Amino acid sequence: MVRHGIANKIAIIGCEMTKYGERWDKSQYDLLAEACLGAFKDAGINKDDIDAAWLGVFYYFTGLSGTTLEDALRLNGKPITRVENYCASGMDAFRNACFGVASGAYDIGLACGVEKLMDEGGSGLPGFRIFGHPVLPLPSAPAMFSMAATRAFHEWGWTKEDLAHVAVKNHDNGSHHPKAHFRRPLTIDQVMKAPMIADPLGRADCCAMSDGSAALVITRPELAESYAHADDYILVKANEISIYTMAPWYWPGYDFSEFPATLKAGEMAYKEAGITDPRKEIDLAEVHDCFTITELLNCQDLKFCEKGKAVEELKAGTFNWDGEIAVNPSGGLKSFGHPIGTLARATC
Amino acid sequence: MIGIKSYGAYLPKYLLPRELIGKAWDFPLVPGTKAVASADEDSITMGVEAGLDCLIGIDPKTIDGLFFASTTQPYTEKDSASLIAAVLDLREDIITADFTDSLKAGTSAVCRAIDAIKANKDIKNVLIIAADKRKPEPATMWEYGNADGAAALLIAEGDALALEIEDYYSIAANVTGPWKRTEKDSFIRTFEPKMDAQFYIKSITKVINEILKRNNLEAKDIGGAAYAYSNPRLHGRIAKMLKFPQGVAQNGLFFQIGDLGCAMPFVLLISALKRPKPDAKILLAGYGDGADAILMQLKDKKALRALGKGRMGLVGHQKSMTTLKNYTWLIDNKELLVKDRYTRKSSAVILWRETKSLYQLYGNKCQKCGTIQYPMMFPSCYNCRSDGLFDPVKLKLKGEIFTYSLDHLVGGNYYATPVPRCVLDIEGGGRLLADMTEIEKPEENVKIGMKVELVFRKVHEGADFNNYYWKCRPPRGRP
Repeated sequence: MVRHGIANKIAIIGCEMTKYGERWDKSQYDLLAEACLGAFKDAGINKDDIDAAWLGVFYYFTGLSGTTLEDALRLNGKPITRVENYCASGMDAFRNACFGVASGAYDIGLACGVEKLMDEGGSGLPGFRIFGHPVLPLPSAPAMFSMAATRAFHEWGWTKEDLAHVAVKNHDNGSHHPKAHFRRPLTIDQVMKAPMIADPLGRADCCAMSDGSAALVITRPELAESYAHADDYILVKANEISIYTMAPWYWPGYDFSEFPATLKAGEMAYKEAGITDPRKEIDLAEVHDCFTITELLNCQDLKFCEKGKAVEELKAGTFNWDGEIAVNPSGGLKSFGHPIGTLARATC
Repeated sequence: MIGIKSYGAYLPKYLLPRELIGKAWDFPLVPGTKAVASADEDSITMGVEAGLDCLIGIDPKTIDGLFFASTTQPYTEKDSASLIAAVLDLREDIITADFTDSLKAGTSAVCRAIDAIKANKDIKNVLIIAADKRKPEPATMWEYGNADGAAALLIAEGDALALEIEDYYSIAANVTGPWKRTEKDSFIRTFEPKMDAQFYIKSITKVINEILKRNNLEAKDIGGAAYAYSNPRLHGRIAKMLKFPQGVAQNGLFFQIGDLGCAMPFVLLISALKRPKPDAKILLAGYGDGADAILMQLKDKKALRALGKGRMGLVGHQKSMTTLKNYTWLIDNKELLVKDRYTRKSSAVILWRETKSLYQLYGNKCQKCGTIQYPMMFPSCYNCRSDGLFDPVKLKLKGEIFTYSLDHLVGGNYYATPVPRCVLDIEGGGRLLADMTEIEKPEENVKIGMKVELVFRKVHEGADFNNYYWKCRPPRGRP
């Protein structure tokens, strides 16, 4: 599926993220401004240097359309596109920004994301009941992912305690990150004793509800040398997305042992970047750990280890910050919480 | 001839010991148990269950009419019969009507079904479903009596019917008690219970005596009599007044399941058909602002016995009931406490468009790869990705759990958390997601590979109307 890709065509020249957490005192506009202005400063530019922007937002109450960013920055009529693609909203804003800049249509692009979950109150993802189908069951997000955990326990003999190791690792990593929502290590015992959210996932298996924003400034490598990070800009080697059904529980024969979209996006990205042995070639990975089970399956789907072996590898330290592949050394969503539309993973 | 071609019953899963009511309110104890419906059940969902039970082995497309009898119709404008007919997958060109406002609604519907069959050559099979879920006022004697359940009779014209209907007769009587005003009353009221008993005795004895007289019969000629009343002592007194021989008046079942309202006469009839005398004449009578009596002749005992097999009927339901241990279950499931109830958005448009999939539980079968899939709204094959090459296929109402989660986070107040969210492989093909209802200790009892049955339930009241869909339950033995 990868045709020409964007390998080596995009340079990241500035980034910033807000502190993640219960930001009761800040609006989505405040958070966006903080992240974006910070990224501009990092890149050594001002807001008028931006040619176009892509904004990741999931919830309508955080903001519909590109106006949410305009009302944060007053970009004087610049093109802004709101991107919504569930938890990949921020990453997809980044992907689209890459294309806009790589094509030559724009020189400097802003990719950013924001989510303001805490303004809605309640527990669990807000507003879940207002969208979707009138009567088909609408499980909570943890319930959706825990269906995979139930199968992993059944197929591979994994246990709730095995999952707890993911939470312990990520919270330990997050305790060192100044922008993380939670900066306190957890013990296996604490994870195991946390209240049940969606059996078998307890509260410490789930990422928290948080507010936050993050921003990246990108350009083409040949232009990057005129900006602040002339010597240490980051080259994008691949940026791929894959989409499969929102309703895997209706997919006849789907066995819940892998996420087909992760599998395919990984394959496409590796091909684009010329990676043939991910285990050896990848040093660091920020993967989606909305729930502990998600990180483990992602490690398998991204070929960091064999299917069914992620727990074994995790416990052997393979995925520790100083292990063979550092997985979520930032602390992941477990430490940051999960303001859905942000692209924190790219900025950690 | 016109007679009864099939029957079905439904009793909810739970039995409430009357002792729990007595203890809760410090009342004089009344013995026995009564059947109580869960919060996700109403007269429509129970009616669907009784209808499914009645139609086992019968093609729903052969049914020409559906009458639904209940004093607890979920709507006063919008009928229930058409909804139940849709769920039972009956044809569109059928007659439907709700019979309501009186406990004799079930027997009245039987009489009118006979009329319809007699009057119209195109109408041969009319399904009568009676169901009630009456909410008794807590801390009153009503709470001891009123119970929940449903039953169905298939009235048909044909040659080889087990029971032939020989005559039917009705009387009207304007009496005040018991009543429930549409706009002002939350619970059933009465003016003078002893007078209510007199009204009842007068109407029921009169209608039975008249139908006997019309047919030159005496009480001793009757082999089984099914007539209901909430007071078991009165039930026995009537038998004596009518001079029915011992064992003819069908036991009121008050002590086992309570008073099922409109469904009670049908349930008693089904109970009477368990062990009928050969060539017996059987009476079915209903009371409420007058009375109906229907006289039947047992034609074929073997055929009757065959009807009893292969369906849950009354016995199958009774055997699979669970006795409650707490009165608080009743408070919660009868919605006696004011609290926020789980709701979500809805769309009457989508429900109409997807009726075949959502109510009748059809899936798509791919013409190319044969994969059976659900729901029907996705137009491309999950398996081979071919577009729009589907044939509708009816999914079975049973399957087993492939995976599940026990969801504590259900966006508002559910009646019982955690809610098991179960991914099911349907027997014969199809996979779907269903919440599980009526499961005790889900942490211990829900497992991969567990067999389940699908049941039609009220799932929420979004958009201020009743939203129904299928859930799964641990098997109660539905074939």
